[in-house]
Amino acid sequence: MPAVCGSSALSDSFLSNPVSSMKATFITLLLALSLPLGLVAAEDAHAVSHDAVSEVADHAATLTDAAHTAVEAHGEEAAHEEGNKLTMITDKFGVSLPTLIAQMINFCLVAFVLYKFAVKPIAATLDERQQKIADGLQYAEEMKTQLAEAERERAEKIKQAAADAQKILTESREQSKEMIEQKTQEAAAQAEAIIRKASEATELERQKMLSDVRQEVARLVVATSSKVLSRDLSDSEKQTFSDSAAKELAGAGN
Amino acid sequence: MKRDKKITQLAKKLVELSKDNGIVTEAKVGEVLAGLKQVKHRHHLTVLKTFLTYLRREIALQTAVVSTPVGLSADALKEIEANFTKIYGRPVSAVTQQDISLIAGVRVRVGDDVYDASVAGRLQRLAENVH
Repeated sequence: MPAVCGSSALSDSFLSNPVSSMKATFITLLLALSLPLGLVAAEDAHAVSHDAVSEVADHAATLTDAAHTAVEAHGEEAAHEEGNKLTMITDKFGVSLPTLIAQMINFCLVAFVLYKFAVKPIAATLDERQQKIADGLQYAEEMKTQLAEAERERAEKIKQAAADAQKILTESREQSKEMIEQKTQEAAAQAEAIIRKASEATELERQKMLSDVRQEVARLVVATSSKVLSRDLSDSEKQTFSDSAAKELAGAGN
Repeated sequence: MKRDKKITQLAKKLVELSKDNGIVTEAKVGEVLAGLKQVKHRHHLTVLKTFLTYLRREIALQTAVVSTPVGLSADALKEIEANFTKIYGRPVSAVTQQDISLIAGVRVRVGDDVYDASVAGRLQRLAENVH
């Protein structure tokens, strides 16, 4: 059953490796073309078996004719029947030994030429393409690995960046909170200072107004008193007061 | 006008020469002027002006201007002269001046010093103390 085995190998390896499948196809063709040769060999074997059966029959006849008559008859009948079948097949397909040998030689020559000038370059080209494809696949696989690595690094960096951003955001919030508190305190202090200054200014203004009022009142009092005294004091009273003042000045150094 | 230092010293010496027993008299001043007229100083006019300034200052220091709205008795004036002569250690003569703005009392000015015993002055000091 070599032909069946060759077909099975062809069907198994065809999809996986085109070069191997081509080789398998070539081998299958060789086997298919050598099938008639096998048939001729089978015919020869049949002749050998037929001789053996005859020998056995002769030998059995010597032992016992009666006991082995049936066996002999049966063997002869089977061999004869098989030989007839092979003869019939070869006749029917027109197989002759010289023609078969010539065809085999021709086939071998054609097969050799085809293998040398067609199959081998094609196989080399296919090998090269297969290598390129394998390299491409390997490169794609490496790229895929690198892409996955880059993706992982990107995700890690994004995660790190998010953590940093969160940290910066937290620090910024804390700083802004501190700044707000500081500015609030400064504003409160400034407001307090402004209020204090305003109070002081108000107090100074009040003091100044009081002073002005006192001054004006005093001026009015003096003016009024002067007018009243100069109008109401008599000459004698003025003389008395002047003498008293003169005595006062006269005794000032004592 | 910036006075020359020598002219100033000369004017002060002339004022000292114009005193008789510490009092500037008209006769002494006339003698000094006569002397200046004979000397014919190079800055004669300036010397005379400076001499006049220091002479007025000296007369003011020797005079007690007594301001009063009414007249004072002669005894009161003599007491004032005696008192200020004693205070300043030089002869001081009193002259009266009427000032009705004082209302009553006396104000004495000797040079740049003022002694106020008037009603107007007291009211003024009262007003100043009220401030």
